[in-house]
Amino acid sequence: MGSSRLTRVLAVAANTHRETVRERVLYNLVFFAILMTLSGLLVGDLSVQQDEKIVKDIGLAAMDVFGTLIAIFIGVGLVSKEIERRSLHPLLAKPLGRGEFLLGKFAGLGFTLLVNVAAMSAGLLLTLLATRGRADLGLLKAVYALFLGLLLAVALALLFSTLTSSVMAAICTTCVVVAGRFSDVIHNMKQVAPGVPGWFVHALYYGVPNFRVFDLKNPVVYGDPVGWDVLGWLTLTALAWLSVLIGCAMLAFRTRDLQ
Amino acid sequence: MSHRMTNGSAALEVSGLRKSYKVGHIVQKRRLALDELSLSVERGEVFGYLGPNGSGKTTTLKVVMGIVRPDAGSVTVLGSPLGEPAWRYHAGYLPEQPYFYDYLTPFEYLDYSGRLFGLATATRRRRADELLERVGLDRSRDVALRRFSKGMSQRLGLAQALINDPEIVFLDEPMSGLDPIGRRLVRDVIMDLKRRGKTVFFSTHILPDAEALCDRVALLGGGRLLRAGRLDEILSLDVSHLEVLIGWHGAAPADAPAGARDRSVLGERWRLEVEEASLVSVLEWAVARRGRVLSVQPIRQSLEDYFFKELVAVEPSGPWVPRD
Repeated sequence: MGSSRLTRVLAVAANTHRETVRERVLYNLVFFAILMTLSGLLVGDLSVQQDEKIVKDIGLAAMDVFGTLIAIFIGVGLVSKEIERRSLHPLLAKPLGRGEFLLGKFAGLGFTLLVNVAAMSAGLLLTLLATRGRADLGLLKAVYALFLGLLLAVALALLFSTLTSSVMAAICTTCVVVAGRFSDVIHNMKQVAPGVPGWFVHALYYGVPNFRVFDLKNPVVYGDPVGWDVLGWLTLTALAWLSVLIGCAMLAFRTRDLQ
Repeated sequence: MSHRMTNGSAALEVSGLRKSYKVGHIVQKRRLALDELSLSVERGEVFGYLGPNGSGKTTTLKVVMGIVRPDAGSVTVLGSPLGEPAWRYHAGYLPEQPYFYDYLTPFEYLDYSGRLFGLATATRRRRADELLERVGLDRSRDVALRRFSKGMSQRLGLAQALINDPEIVFLDEPMSGLDPIGRRLVRDVIMDLKRRGKTVFFSTHILPDAEALCDRVALLGGGRLLRAGRLDEILSLDVSHLEVLIGWHGAAPADAPAGARDRSVLGERWRLEVEEASLVSVLEWAVARRGRVLSVQPIRQSLEDYFFKELVAVEPSGPWVPRD
């Protein structure tokens, strides 16, 4: 009898995926995302010659906003709920490492988001095909970047949920994600508020993941070229941040007493 | 991957275990939950871990299971130290008041548990079905766990602890929340495990459970080991009085025997509390008056009494409160 690390991580991932697809909140969010995408058609019809861009813009924005909400609000419960309800106790008595458990949780929600994003992308492309006669596959570059950003949000949620309660984890994750989306404001903080120490601005700017770089909606919607090198760099950036965040979560979780 | 365990070693060895928790929000103190705890459980034993609430039973099990980290001391299970994962393939654990994912069915939960042990799909399914039948949940196989009562969750907890056919099983208050049928079922499962040569370590504060099942027990109080050994050896030391039940065919006599400490009338029967030295004279007195001796039983000190006495002796100022 024996199981490999990968088998155990996949077992936790499969169970987490099952958990997330059975969450009512997921379907509520997906429903609103579809509603928002379809509303793009209506708004598009009201505008002159901007209809396609508006449909693309609103479709991608819906994917982004609702994907982030799923990442945060399901993500923060992944570990903290297990600790609070003690459902983790019988699992840790089995040959399952705490790090393996975290990786499985991350992979499970990541897969759920992948399925969501894929389904919503297919919906957006089909909508464009049906109403405008063509589907712009270039949108997938923006979707890919957006998905990397969602994985980062999941990793952040996971990190905070190993450290604190679900509610606090949701607040902290939301704050960091919002700060990361306004990283240019942080960067320019010195001009706006000269009294703030430079080291603090630097620490904040580099210490918070820059979610803006994963937002390729504008260049893709307006037809600006997005090279493979950009996607490659984004992938490396995401991998680096994921390693740091999941590594920190593992370290914090490894020594934590689960009462 | 194969995980062989050393056969010659004890099933469980705990040595100098110490664990404290932080308490308080602003001013934090440490509350000592386990204090220099040492004990040993042999293979094939049913070992009862007894103590009042807050005595450290659950903390000990949490330390062994890796749920909390000890401050000091060492633990080996089936010859392997806690840090090595090998022994976990051969262990099962039922936590106190278990909670399982309410979005799963019992079959799905057992299948998930089996996957963590690396069991093949066919084996997982076979064992899951067998265990669900064993714990009386076969008719609820595909019912969502959110609909389960406390007792049903407890039964599932027992099933998941056995999914890997473990060599050693740790059960934290296994009878908790169970009806009489469920309690009988748990007893049967424990006895069956013993027949198959497995080691069972279970915590309880219910004396009859321990009396019926255990080869040996350890008594815990205030985080410290008070006694370890056979339960009858430990408690019989304190037997000083006997209970004598006498039935009367006709009218009960007007007098009471000398040597009876207490008498209560239960319809046509008398219940006498008799000192051991006076037993023979009381029985002769009853027979002479045509009484029928229905039973003679030692009045055993209750476990709670025992704890109280032991803990007061150790810590007169407050036996039940774990020390800061």
